[in-house]
Amino acid sequence: MLGLCLILLISFREQPFFQRVRLITHDAVSVFYTVAASPVTAGRAVVSFFKSHRALRDENSRLQQENFLLRGQAQRLAAVVAENSRYRDLLNSAGSLDREVMVAEIIAVTADASRHILLLDKGSSHGVVQGQPLLGAEGLIGQIIMVGESTSRAIMISDSTHAVPVQVLRSGVRGLAEGTGEIDRLMVRHIAATTDIVEGDILVTSGLGGLFPPGYPVAEVVSIENVKGSAFAAVLSRPMVKLDRGRYVMLAMDVATKLNDLGAR
Amino acid sequence: MARRGTWLIVITLVISLILQVVPVPFEWRGFRPELVLLVLFYWVLALPQRIGVITAGLVGLSIDFLDGFAIGAAGAGASIGSLIILLNYQRIRQFDSLQQTFLIGLVLAIVLLVTQRLHGLLGYTADGLEFLYSVPVSMVLWIPIRNFLRGYRRYYEIA
Repeated sequence: MLGLCLILLISFREQPFFQRVRLITHDAVSVFYTVAASPVTAGRAVVSFFKSHRALRDENSRLQQENFLLRGQAQRLAAVVAENSRYRDLLNSAGSLDREVMVAEIIAVTADASRHILLLDKGSSHGVVQGQPLLGAEGLIGQIIMVGESTSRAIMISDSTHAVPVQVLRSGVRGLAEGTGEIDRLMVRHIAATTDIVEGDILVTSGLGGLFPPGYPVAEVVSIENVKGSAFAAVLSRPMVKLDRGRYVMLAMDVATKLNDLGAR
Repeated sequence: MARRGTWLIVITLVISLILQVVPVPFEWRGFRPELVLLVLFYWVLALPQRIGVITAGLVGLSIDFLDGFAIGAAGAGASIGSLIILLNYQRIRQFDSLQQTFLIGLVLAIVLLVTQRLHGLLGYTADGLEFLYSVPVSMVLWIPIRNFLRGYRRYYEIA
C-alpha cells in the first residue's frame, strides 16, 4: 500500500493519463465541498432573506451612490481608453484595454492549511480554462489550476508555489512576486539593492510570460531591507486584495479565449 | 468485504471526510482537527482484523483527492500510522484515556510529518511546523470520538 501510494505520488505528477483521472475525481470531490459548505450557504440565504427592510434601504442607497460615482469615473475611463487606443494606433501596437469578466463564487478553501487553493463554482461548461487569471475588486487574486465540469480550483498568489511577474507602477522596475504561504505577504525576488523601489510602491502585473494581462494591481510594497553582503534587497509586499475575505472573484474571459486559441494548454 | 457492517464503517468515514472540508475561517484552518484520521484510527484499533493498512491507504488517498494535489502523500502517511496502531493495538487498548490521547497524538504527528515531508519532496513546501497545530485539537477530540464510535459499533454489532 505504501509503495502504491508512492508510485501514485510520482505518476500523478508526470503522467497525462493520471491528469485526466484527477480531473474526473475533481468533480466528485467538489461534491464533498459543496455538501460540507451547504449549511453555511443555507445560513447565509436565511440571513439575507430576513434582512430588515431598513438595512436593505440603507444598502440600496449606499450602492446607488457608489454606482453613481463609479459611472462618473467610467465616463472618464472611456475617454482615456479612446485616447490610449489612439496612441496605440500611432505606435502600431495592438491590444485592448476593456476586459470581459465572469463572476464566480468561492465554494471553499481546500482543507490543507499549508496551501492557498480555492474551489470555485464555475467550470469548463461556463468557459473556464486552465491558467485563467483570477481578479478581485482591488487586484489580482490568483489563477485557475484545475478545471472540472462545473467547478474549478484556483491557486492564490500567496501560495508558496506561486509566482507572478510584476512591475513597479511608478518606476517600471520588473520583478517576480512569489507567494510565501502567508496570506498577507508576497516576496519580490531579484530586486537589486540599488533599484529604485520604495515602501508604498504599487506592484502591477507586467504581462511578461503572457499569462497574466499587464496592468493589474498585485501588491503594495511594505518593507525593503538591504541585507549586507547580498546583491539583492529583501522586498516584502502585501497583496492589494484581502485574500481571506470576500466570496466572489472575477475571471478574465478574454484571456480565456486567448488561451483557447493558443491551444497550448 | 461483504461482512456485516462494512457500509456502517464506510458511512462514518464518509461523514468524517465531509466534516473535514467544512468551511472554517481562514486563520483557523491550521487548527482543523484531523477527523478522518481519528475515525480511521478508531476502526483500526477496534477491528484490526478488518481495517488495516489497505483501508488506511485508501482513506488517505481520499484525503489527497480532497486536497487535489500530491495524490498519495496522505495515503502513505495514513498507511504508516495505521501500521503503528496495528502492531500495538493490544497494548493501546489497555491504556487509560490520557495515555491513549497522547499516543494517538503521537501517531497523528507522525502521519502529518510523513505527509508534509512528501509534499516537501514534490515542491509543495511551507516552512515551519504550523501543520502540527491540528494535533492538540485532534487529541482533545479523541476520547469523545472513541466513545461515540464505540457506542455506534456496539449498537449495530459491527465485529
